[in-house]
Amino acid sequence: MASTLRLYLTCIRNTLEAAMCLQNFPCQEVERHNKPEVELKTSPELLLNPVLICRNEAEKCLIETSINSLRISLKVKQADELENILTKKFLRFLSMRAEAFQVLRRKPVQGYDISFLITNYHCEEMQKQKLIDFIVQFMEDIDKEISELKMSVNTRGRLVATEFLKQFI
Amino acid sequence: MILLQSHSRFLLQTLLNRVQNLEKSVELDYHWVEFDDVRYHVQVSMKNPHILLLSVSLPTPPRETFFLGGLPFGAIEAIKSAYGVIVQILDPPRDGFNLTLKLNLSKLSPDEEYRHALLVKVASVREVVLGAPLRVILKYLASRTIAPDIDRLVALVHRPNESFFLLPQQAEKVTAVFPMRFKDSIDTVLATSFLQEFVESRRTAGLHNAPPCLWSHSPPLELKGATDDALSANAGFVTFGNITRLEFLFPFLVMLSILQTRLCVMNAVIFPRHVEGKKLDRTVWNLSTFHAYVNYHVKCSEGFMHTRMRRRVESLIQALNRAKPDQEKTKKAAHTRSFKRLSLKESRTNSNS
Repeated sequence: MASTLRLYLTCIRNTLEAAMCLQNFPCQEVERHNKPEVELKTSPELLLNPVLICRNEAEKCLIETSINSLRISLKVKQADELENILTKKFLRFLSMRAEAFQVLRRKPVQGYDISFLITNYHCEEMQKQKLIDFIVQFMEDIDKEISELKMSVNTRGRLVATEFLKQFI
Repeated sequence: MILLQSHSRFLLQTLLNRVQNLEKSVELDYHWVEFDDVRYHVQVSMKNPHILLLSVSLPTPPRETFFLGGLPFGAIEAIKSAYGVIVQILDPPRDGFNLTLKLNLSKLSPDEEYRHALLVKVASVREVVLGAPLRVILKYLASRTIAPDIDRLVALVHRPNESFFLLPQQAEKVTAVFPMRFKDSIDTVLATSFLQEFVESRRTAGLHNAPPCLWSHSPPLELKGATDDALSANAGFVTFGNITRLEFLFPFLVMLSILQTRLCVMNAVIFPRHVEGKKLDRTVWNLSTFHAYVNYHVKCSEGFMHTRMRRRVESLIQALNRAKPDQEKTKKAAHTRSFKRLSLKESRTNSNS
């Protein structure tokens, strides 16, 4: 792992550890409702300052916190058109399976590629440390998967071209 | 299977099956479709079990291609020379088809090997018919002459309403230009990266004799005569072409490609050494199915990507499940407690006793 990536991930891990202290908080406006405040933003006193962690211009992570919920939005590096298409395809594939992931948001926050929404309920039924591990592993896996997919497309392209041109020799 | 096979596998199997049980009279009526909208129909009647009617429908030709009586030029001669006496062309063909062949299976030679070779040839009827004009031009190239009555630019159909182009007016080479069109934006990007590999892989060792390829976003200058509609491509143009001439073209192509990035062409230059003897058939087939070949591999790699992504989703879900405290452990923990919470009913029975 490149050292810059490790620093980036450690920073995100530490920030998440600090940010993930959520408590149950019923809605102030509607009785018997309990909603993630980071999504609704009903009252400013329930929100904390958002943290933006950037590795470079293309790769960044926005962590927004509130009293009972936490939103993590990721932007993944897309160097060329092929990577762009692969990232889009892969992340759409993941978002469509958001139920299976529970903490995944169906739609990313504007300007980002994929978002997670963690509420106090998630923190109650899952171990906090392991949940952070999951987020960090997710980020690592996405990077790895996209570079591997790109490699496989290029390898196949090379093989396809070579086999075709061999026919003329 | 990396390369596309020229014979229709189903047709070959049907023919072999029929030849093996020639005495048995059966009724056959098969319809099927192959890639690039080539449709087949096979009919055998109870009365004449040794007669097989094979109808082929070709992709709809675009305006710029030259069709003679529903067939590409040179197709009738190609069929006659390829199949000889066992095949008779019916005129007019079956309704909705471009060509109907009447195969007389009783006239097949008894020699097993020769018969099989001929049946394979019949099964690759699309190569014979669609590749006929290309074969005529490449035969002239093999003898290093220019066809006497040929246009500067020849358009040949390879997909419904789409054609690729040949520049046959040089004795030493023929340039083939393929406008690459893809419906899906993902297909376009994948195909573009594949086409770049065509250009690059030719530089590797062992492929120096392969036709030089050029890939660009804008149509080459030679295609000035063709209509705009025929040249609208979104994955570039592929040219298999002569190096010296293309180097001269190159600065211009690069400049244009910056202006209109959605357009792509691939060129290939075919030299006489590519069409010598037995290589002619292979070259004809490979050139006429170039688009299908690239498309097939684009779809294959998409399928592969999906399998990978599904696997990755599973591994990520497992990672998330690890975050949940173990269900069994909590149960056990409940059992080890020294007190037991009683339900309302149980407490009542307890107090009664």
